[in-house]
Amino acid sequence: MSLTKIDPTWAWTPYRPSESQPWNRIRAAHLFRRAGFGATSQELDAAVGRDPDEIVAGLVTPNLDAEFESESDAFATTILASGNPKQLSAWWSYVMLRTPHPLLEKTTLFWHGHFATSAAKVEDAGAMYAQNRLFRQYALGDFGKLTHAIARDPAMLIYLDSVTNRKAHPNENFARELMELFCLGEGNYSEKDIQELARCFTGWEIRRGSFRFNRFQHDTGSKSIFGQTGPMPESESIDIVLDQPAAPQFIVRKLIRYFLFDEPAASDELVAPLANELSEHAWDIGHVVRRILSSQLFYSDQVIGRKVRSPVDLVVGLLRTLEGSTNAYQLGDDLDMLGQGLFYPPNVKGWDGGRAWINSSTLLGRANVIGRIVRDEKTRFAGVNLKAYFDQLDADSPAAIVDQLVELTLAVEPSQTVKEQLVEVIKRPGDRSQRIAEAIHALSTIPEFQVM
Amino acid sequence: MRSNRREFLRTTLGSSAILSLGATLPDFLRAAAATGTDDKDTILVVVQLSGGNDGLNTVIPFSDPAYKKARPTLAIPTSDVLKIDDTLGFHPSARGLADLLEDDSLAIVQGVGYDNPNRSHFESMDIWHTCQRKSDTRTTGWLGRYLDATQANKSGASLALHLGHEKQPLALTATGVSVPSISSLESFRLNDSGDKEVRSTISKLAASKQDESDSLLGFLQSTTTVALAASQRVEQASRDYKTPVTYPDSELAKKLKTVAQLIDSGLGTRVYYVTLDGFDTHSQQPAAHAALLSQLGGAVSSFVKDIDHHGQSDRVAVLAFSEFGRRVAENASEGTDHGAAAPMFLAGKKVRAGLIGKHPSLTDLEDGDLKFHTDFRQVYATVLESWLGWPNESVLGGKFKTVEAFSA
Repeated sequence: MSLTKIDPTWAWTPYRPSESQPWNRIRAAHLFRRAGFGATSQELDAAVGRDPDEIVAGLVTPNLDAEFESESDAFATTILASGNPKQLSAWWSYVMLRTPHPLLEKTTLFWHGHFATSAAKVEDAGAMYAQNRLFRQYALGDFGKLTHAIARDPAMLIYLDSVTNRKAHPNENFARELMELFCLGEGNYSEKDIQELARCFTGWEIRRGSFRFNRFQHDTGSKSIFGQTGPMPESESIDIVLDQPAAPQFIVRKLIRYFLFDEPAASDELVAPLANELSEHAWDIGHVVRRILSSQLFYSDQVIGRKVRSPVDLVVGLLRTLEGSTNAYQLGDDLDMLGQGLFYPPNVKGWDGGRAWINSSTLLGRANVIGRIVRDEKTRFAGVNLKAYFDQLDADSPAAIVDQLVELTLAVEPSQTVKEQLVEVIKRPGDRSQRIAEAIHALSTIPEFQVM
Repeated sequence: MRSNRREFLRTTLGSSAILSLGATLPDFLRAAAATGTDDKDTILVVVQLSGGNDGLNTVIPFSDPAYKKARPTLAIPTSDVLKIDDTLGFHPSARGLADLLEDDSLAIVQGVGYDNPNRSHFESMDIWHTCQRKSDTRTTGWLGRYLDATQANKSGASLALHLGHEKQPLALTATGVSVPSISSLESFRLNDSGDKEVRSTISKLAASKQDESDSLLGFLQSTTTVALAASQRVEQASRDYKTPVTYPDSELAKKLKTVAQLIDSGLGTRVYYVTLDGFDTHSQQPAAHAALLSQLGGAVSSFVKDIDHHGQSDRVAVLAFSEFGRRVAENASEGTDHGAAAPMFLAGKKVRAGLIGKHPSLTDLEDGDLKFHTDFRQVYATVLESWLGWPNESVLGGKFKTVEAFSA
């Protein structure tokens, strides 16, 4: 199977259910895993009765749910009162676990990894929270506006050493990352472009937690970036970067990696049609995400099971799929231990994802976290224990329970031997809920559990 | 140390769970048990300084007027410099490095870099890790290729270990060897709630064959197998370590102490890899850089002492590098931007102590940055040939002239 040989015309043609490619629980589960954090058995039943295109349209244009919003805001207020940015991960874990708009959260997480900013350096819970709201506001909206906003975002400017920026010796850090990591990608600019762009940002400052333009420190001289020359006041320079043809290609390639497959990087031919559409639709991210999630490629074997689950996909995914409830503070710490500390990305490049999620420590950690959550007697699944939960799903024999578990949690069918061994675990005498928990723990160690 | 080692092999071999894990582990154990010569193999400990260490304020050309001119606020006063000779000296917080040099245990390779330097952290780090440019297909790291090559001869496993919370460095990526990453000894074990049957099911699941055609699932399978095996070995190896050396209270010191402990336990690992992050000092550099150099010097000097105390100093060398140095001229935020050439360090009893090569000129610059005169691959070649005893050509993708960094 060669991903470099994907025909772009075929790939981006919208998926239409057919006899060979039916719209069923398996495909619906795939959609909800990728566009969110998995679906319950009930949600899958509801989804197969609807048109997939209509489902994606709904995911891309969420109608905010006032009740959930106010719950989320109340939790955030409590955490912000503590002033501890570490605790913000509990709030976001809770939001991902409970949100009625999983695609919105998943895309917000994408932007957090893209415009990566770490509270380890920013040390200001309020600024990190404000930045998170900014990501959510534009998550499925206008990338151009988001870029302009992030260039004035206090958390970002603190993170990239641009709290002060004087014309005498401009600091290159933000200018460099704007080109390298946020808009164009390495190799699509020169060192000279960076130095000139850094001059454009002189006078941009953070004072008492807010953005301020200090005209006395702004270099008003002529600059030359990508062959364009002029004083380039304020944000004009950002538009010059956004107007580079590399910009929509860079963003589309990253969205393909996030929503479709980790490796290899999408070919130029595959990227081009969506990059053109992103330009034509004035940086509307929602449009491109919708095209990706309703494409023939999305439902193909080249995509299903081809992504390594991030810690969020793994843990939040399992909990949402089985309607599990758990301690949000513990969940935030677990994600950090597995390499995805929310609000604490490893560096300005964000999480590499893919195989980089996996090493011997994180694999042991994944099994330990899942094992602890499901074995904990306080963990409830739709309010009841695991035995009662699977009874409700009409899975009352060990074999039926394993079949349900496999269908709900795995994108790739494991071998018959694996399933038989899990059945043996559940068959052991003793408390049935504990036996199911042990089977889930064992399941969490197999390769198929790490992909989606 | 020998009794530790024997105990380790006995208890590990005695565990039936571990023997059911598949082919890799018995091979490793057979190799380790059969030779017993692993005790003599040299060991390399790589310390990666992430973010771009300001080499100019680490090994300081204090007598050069151009230094103070380029660094009006960041220059270290001559009186504070820990002098190496009449022109060069260490940052006052790099006391540990100065002590190592005093003790004939530190080599400073000056002016290290590469042609057409890239000033992106990620791109430059990838170049240091793989020895390849972006236009090449980069799938393995230089240490990974060394592991692949030695693995073919020895059929062992876990020749390298990465200690740290961060993702595994690309330098260790191999095609045929999976390198374990250990974030901490305490958490590096499978918690099975003491339930032997579940543990045995998990071992059986890990041993079940994966479809070879799926490289992603194959990768996950082999990483799982290695994780379960390595966790048992490390758990055994990490008991009862005693040292009279008091390490400083820092992350790097903790990691290096763990490395000393694992070396002492007789684990057959040849390469250990740790990182120290935070060198990207674009603003407010003085306090941050001082703390980092203090951490680096304190941790490495304690480690070398500890290793010496345990009779291992003839076989352990430390290599420290960063993805680039920093711009000669400081910026307006009391910091420095991304630069090029910088020094590399080798520490241990067997290094040829002292300065190697000249300090790069502060006036003959390239785009405001120091020019390199020693390619980093020359230092790698030296480590491979003079320390690990392996020809460098296939690993580095070309023949590189070695530098005289080890005593004969």
